[in-house]
Amino acid sequence: MFGIPDPQIWLAYILCITSAVLCVVYGVTHWNSEE
Amino acid sequence: MNPTLLIVIVVYIAATLGLGYLAYRRTHSEKDYLIAGGNVHPYLMAMAYGSTFISTSAIVGFGGNAGMFGMSLLWLTVFNIFVGIFIAFVVFGKRTLIVGRNLGAQTFPEFLGLRFKSRFIKHFSATLVAVAMPLYAAAVMIGGARFLEQILHINYNWAVWIFALFVGAYVLTGGLKGVVYTDALQGTIMFFGMVTLLIMTYAKLGGIIPAHEALTALTAQVPAALAAKGHLGWTSMPAFLSEYWWIVVSTLVMGVGIGVLAQPQLVVRYLTVKSPRELNRAVVIGGVFILFMTGVAFVVGALTNVHFMQQSGQLALMAAIDPVTHAPNVDKIIPLYIDSAMPGWFTYIFTLTLLAAAMSTMSGQFHVIGTSISRDLYESLRKKDGKGNSLLINRIGLVVAMIVTVWLTFRLPAGIIAVATTTFMGTCAAAFLPAYTAALYWPRVTRIGAIASMVIGTFTTLFLLVFVYAKGSAGLGISMALFGKATLAGFPWTVIEPIAIALPLSAVVLVAVSLATEPAEAHIMKRLLVPIGTVASEE
Repeated sequence: MFGIPDPQIWLAYILCITSAVLCVVYGVTHWNSEE
Repeated sequence: MNPTLLIVIVVYIAATLGLGYLAYRRTHSEKDYLIAGGNVHPYLMAMAYGSTFISTSAIVGFGGNAGMFGMSLLWLTVFNIFVGIFIAFVVFGKRTLIVGRNLGAQTFPEFLGLRFKSRFIKHFSATLVAVAMPLYAAAVMIGGARFLEQILHINYNWAVWIFALFVGAYVLTGGLKGVVYTDALQGTIMFFGMVTLLIMTYAKLGGIIPAHEALTALTAQVPAALAAKGHLGWTSMPAFLSEYWWIVVSTLVMGVGIGVLAQPQLVVRYLTVKSPRELNRAVVIGGVFILFMTGVAFVVGALTNVHFMQQSGQLALMAAIDPVTHAPNVDKIIPLYIDSAMPGWFTYIFTLTLLAAAMSTMSGQFHVIGTSISRDLYESLRKKDGKGNSLLINRIGLVVAMIVTVWLTFRLPAGIIAVATTTFMGTCAAAFLPAYTAALYWPRVTRIGAIASMVIGTFTTLFLLVFVYAKGSAGLGISMALFGKATLAGFPWTVIEPIAIALPLSAVVLVAVSLATEPAEAHIMKRLLVPIGTVASEE
């Protein structure tokens, strides 16, 4: 995937982006939360 | 020096000094100096956290390591974002803010000391910070000054003093406000610099997939010496349990990835915002920021191999062979790549990016070393907490921090940068992380359990560093002097980062000792988790 043959590496590549997306989604959904 | 570069640097310095002056005008109390008034905007907080977190060594040092090890280092970016931002802000940050405010804590050692009602814990933590952090600050300073020496063509000693006095000036006058305001500018510069670097690298190599395919195609070129240690190519993980696998997993991922959670200069950032709502918002900026810092450094670092192969038929490691020592220097890979692959105008942007990265990390370090010496040790030992001229005492503490760091900068060997960075983060994690986590989440933790964990975590790390972990023990030379051997253990212990052993041990000690001692203070937690400002008095 993405020209990277080793699943352990393309998984890391995807997880980097997914983790950043998780931060964005969490922040937006809790934008006004005081909790 | 190129006049355009000179103008760019002068404008940057003027902007930084302007922000330092603004912070000075807004610093009237100890609260302003220690936690930037406790009312910082989420963007500023996230940038201050992110830019302090990411030093020049994370971009140049670790990026260069990716040129050698390849994209396996992206696991460190996963940890940086998921642990260093998401878990840090959501799991640790919000509770630290609530508990810290309700305790009235304004520094990390003070937080632990008040939470466990222990002056020993406060003084032990502050001493550890005051002793260990100057090593890390000196490592950052060496990197920054070498870089300044190279671009401004000035004497190294001058570069160190310019760096120290310039950063010291705005921390001294503006306290944490000075740090946070300038960090936000520096973080923004770093973000745009790294985004541009990524886009231009992929564009140059024909796009994302063609670039990765070209890197995969280099697998057959892995030098025999690296292959023997487990290197399987730049788009593959090293062979399971090989020397390189241990280095990638324990040194980089565990050491730096998890170590970030308990760093005092980052923990104090949580106390700068008004409420958990601001931390929720800061998560958005922090996550994206880190993705474009280490994520870009590691992808580009690995891809430099494709560029150097196309340009000169050699790998990045060979291109970075030092003409004097004839040994490859991974720290040269990224600067060489920028010089040979990027257009002239980008070198100005990248110069600013690295300058900003070094300064933003150093300002946070100076501030925390200074407050540990002044507020947590000097004032506390003289029992003058909050009394007398605290602002002045904190500023004197900062001057002491600066002098100690500069003194170390002139004495440490150049090769110490990466070791000092991972060592500091590892020591912080082993000493503080179990006790800090329990302080927030485990009502059953006892003062004795926390003390045992901190002391054993610290001394186990030091023991491993001095006698077992080859990179540390060989560098320090104490094992050699005492026993005639660079290290007392054999593989794999010699390549496993001390944190991987000391942190689990410290956690087990915390749990075991807490369970074995009287749970007298279990009600404290409930009292401290009420909304900020509504905590009831103890009686």
